[in-house]
Amino acid sequence: MAAIIESRKFRDFDWLLTLLAVAIASFGTWMILHAQPEASYWRKQLLGIGISLVVMLAVAFTDYRKLVNIAPLFYAFGLFLLVIVLIPGIGLKINGQRCWIGVPGLGQFQPSEFMKIPTVLMLARYFGRPRQSVLTFREMLMGGVILAVPVGLIMLEPDAGQALTYFPLLAVVLFLSAIRMWLVVAALVLMTVAVPAAWVVGTQTGLIKPYQQERINVILDPENADRRGFGYHTWQSMVTVGKGRITGSATKGDASQSKLKFLPEPQTDFIFAVAAENTGFVGCVLLLIAYSVLLTKLIHGARRAPDRTGMLVIMAIVGGLAFQIFINVGMALGLLPVIGVPLPLMSAGISALLTTFVAIGFAISIRLRRFVN
Amino acid sequence: MKFEDETQNLKLRVGVIHGLVFAILVVLGARLYFLQVVNGDYYSERAENQRVRLLRIPAPRGAIFARDGKTILVDSRSTYNIILAREDMKGKDWGELVGPLSVGLGVDPELLRERLEEMARQPAFEEATIKEGADRADLAWVEAHMLEFPMLLVREQPQRRYPENGVLAHVLGYVGEISSQQLKQPKFKDYTENPYYPGAIIGQEGLESTYDRYLRGKDGYRKVEVDSRGRIQRELETVAPQPGQDLVTSIDLDMQLAAEEQLRNSPNKRGVIVSMDPRNGEILAMASYPTFDPNLFSQRIGTPEGRKEANTLLRDPLTPLFNRAIRGRYPPGSTWKIPMAVSGLMQGAITIQKSNLVCGGGIQIGNKFTRCMGHHGSPPLRTAIKHSCDGYFYRLGLKMGLEGIMQMVDDFDLNKRTGVDLPHELVSWTPSREFKARFNPRAPEWKDIDTVYASFGQVYDFVTPLAMLRAQVAIANGGRLYVPHLLKEARPVPEIGPFAARPKQTFDRPDPKLIPIPAEQHDVVVEGMWAVVNEPGGTGGAARIEGFDVAGKTGTAQVVGLGKDVGKNKDHSWFVAYGPARDPEIASIALIENVGFGGKFAAPATHKVFDAYLAKAHPDLAPAPEAAEAAKQRALSTGNHQ
Repeated sequence: MAAIIESRKFRDFDWLLTLLAVAIASFGTWMILHAQPEASYWRKQLLGIGISLVVMLAVAFTDYRKLVNIAPLFYAFGLFLLVIVLIPGIGLKINGQRCWIGVPGLGQFQPSEFMKIPTVLMLARYFGRPRQSVLTFREMLMGGVILAVPVGLIMLEPDAGQALTYFPLLAVVLFLSAIRMWLVVAALVLMTVAVPAAWVVGTQTGLIKPYQQERINVILDPENADRRGFGYHTWQSMVTVGKGRITGSATKGDASQSKLKFLPEPQTDFIFAVAAENTGFVGCVLLLIAYSVLLTKLIHGARRAPDRTGMLVIMAIVGGLAFQIFINVGMALGLLPVIGVPLPLMSAGISALLTTFVAIGFAISIRLRRFVN
Repeated sequence: MKFEDETQNLKLRVGVIHGLVFAILVVLGARLYFLQVVNGDYYSERAENQRVRLLRIPAPRGAIFARDGKTILVDSRSTYNIILAREDMKGKDWGELVGPLSVGLGVDPELLRERLEEMARQPAFEEATIKEGADRADLAWVEAHMLEFPMLLVREQPQRRYPENGVLAHVLGYVGEISSQQLKQPKFKDYTENPYYPGAIIGQEGLESTYDRYLRGKDGYRKVEVDSRGRIQRELETVAPQPGQDLVTSIDLDMQLAAEEQLRNSPNKRGVIVSMDPRNGEILAMASYPTFDPNLFSQRIGTPEGRKEANTLLRDPLTPLFNRAIRGRYPPGSTWKIPMAVSGLMQGAITIQKSNLVCGGGIQIGNKFTRCMGHHGSPPLRTAIKHSCDGYFYRLGLKMGLEGIMQMVDDFDLNKRTGVDLPHELVSWTPSREFKARFNPRAPEWKDIDTVYASFGQVYDFVTPLAMLRAQVAIANGGRLYVPHLLKEARPVPEIGPFAARPKQTFDRPDPKLIPIPAEQHDVVVEGMWAVVNEPGGTGGAARIEGFDVAGKTGTAQVVGLGKDVGKNKDHSWFVAYGPARDPEIASIALIENVGFGGKFAAPATHKVFDAYLAKAHPDLAPAPEAAEAAKQRALSTGNHQ
């Protein structure tokens, strides 16, 4: 009996999804090596992939419903970590942000990355019950609270970029929980009106500081922005990307933008620019296609999920991943201002890598149980 | 969907999200296409520009030689400056350095403190120089204290080296950094063949300036790769510089030193001596005193003491920076009579057959009597020249009239620049109605008395010594008015790397203007000038050289009215001469400022200069060749070491 189950599990295991994730992560490691050939980031990343695969398998072969049931425990534990990271002495302050917890012998990890999983599970648990009616205000409020607590704690670190990545999780869950369409439309309209209005009001009144304006200006007009000041990151990233041209410079041997330190944070925030420089348009488009296939596979899994909870878990993950890809790549391409958000599966950092693999583990777990009653 | 949940079109909503994900990826792909495919070249170039730096390798500037092509007058050498790398000085107390550095490098602590304080106020990219011209011991000290003072760096700098004691200073000029004003001038801005750039060292005066384009080499460069902080990562390419062209000048150093010695030994140590080859206009010597040390401008101008020194020179009432040969306008006194005599004959005011004019001991014009220095009866031209009879030339001037004198000025180009290959030459002032009107606005009318003054080199005549020498040379050689020049040749430079070969250059205006002086008229004037030097009673006997027919003319130019000509207002002493009289190969003019009679000071000085010439050209005629050699040794001995 066990053998049958095992063989069925083996057959139904989402090999392609796993393979894609590992392929992207491996490509990312290769790029990390290009970005920082003298540092050990790439070796750590390889180790991270190994650990992540083990954890992912563990999650995949566990019934997600059990995990969703004890989601409040995870959630509470996550919040606990988010609180203690704020305590000086436990949380490490790097670049003015206290978002790392050091573990002797293992390095450091970032609770705000891991917290995404419990948040998704909590949201899915709350909104996963069979639904016959439109979303009520009470439910929306509940969802808002589930999100607001970790986001609030993350803002205290402060890590606005990371906090931002939580919003799509709620947005997707609300959207798929029968939120009234007019509310969606109203929210979109409000945003398209409010953002430019806030910009105008903010610049006129001085509420948006000059350096913040400069970050936006560099997106609107990178040629004329202050390339040595706040426009520097964006400009250098665009140069790095453009320099890759069609096939990239990985084989041409000229010193890269990251080796010469023109490109800042090449192994994390700007890993996409490194990929663009080294593998060119061809490599980048292949990477985007890989992401596209990966996300499509996930959405496919969501459509076949055995219950609403499973569907919501996967779709929230999809929303989170797509949003991070958009923010990170958009930033590297000079479409969006500089926001410190890692590129899923690519950026150096075990916390983010592990979180993404755990998320994929959930998707696999849900898929494995599509035929189970 | 596996579960029964069709509220609010769940399937559609999942589809919307799916579509949104695709849309995002398509937008990113489109942007990638724009950056990498459409604008890839642009960004590649930008990356290249920030990655690659060209570091200039300054080209050695051409040397300057004397006419033998061997004697070096100016060259460049490497000097070492010890500088402070300011990057390493952030947050450190500059004052703490004063003690150890002043002891270790032998710099005056007060001076060092002053410099460091000044440097601390300047922008960070400026280098702080601790010591210029560091010697071996200093360099060794810096190396030995590398750990203690890592901020000390040694920088090699090519430096121009000029003869000491101001020898030939006005001719050679000096180099200096191009100024921002100069960079805006078309002369520098539009010269694309070897572009000028901020900080370039260029010739600022003298031959260094005139022939800057020959002397300047073409800078090479090191192409290096730098990181974002400008630190060099590796060398990509090196292009060696092409040195500038060496100049061979027409200067005869022996004659030059002899001339300078004469000026240095003159009572006021002020004056000019210029020697020229009457056969081609080459200048063999050009001495102007007082002189200055060009090394001040090429080496020390960057220091506070150097600037102080330069300011003192600029304000000196004796104008040591001034090349008197081309910028000094002096009344020529009786030397003026020679072109007057030639033009008098050419214009027919006098003839060879009947050249006698009354001396009369002077001339009465209206109520004013202008006297001659003696009583010469009614001398012929030859005698009038020999005795420098003023009365004769008063009357010759009156016969020629102002127009005749102006014609003479025109014929001998005395109202033009000579065109010598030196910068800042001034035009002589010569008689004309306009000049009088400007000079004396209360009595602007030109009167006969003015013609009298104009005819013996006073009041309305102010010539540069070089213009006068050139006119005299044209008389000596029978009417060939050369452009005086110092360039014999600029030596060719072979092709180096990307730089094309630079061909040999010579002076570009070698052909003289011809003045049609009839031979017999020329002979009479030369006769007179020969008599000045060689006959008893001639005014220039002090220039007589046994066996070498010197012809000459003295001049004693009044600086102020008669009776006041004492002390520093004494007359200028002139002597112009050439030899041999019949076939001149050397000509010279000497002006000794405010000393008195021409025959007494300028003529012997000219004699010494001719001696230096003869020592080489006609050793049999020269008195004591060791004398010139010794003078040369003295002048250059201090210049050859350090």
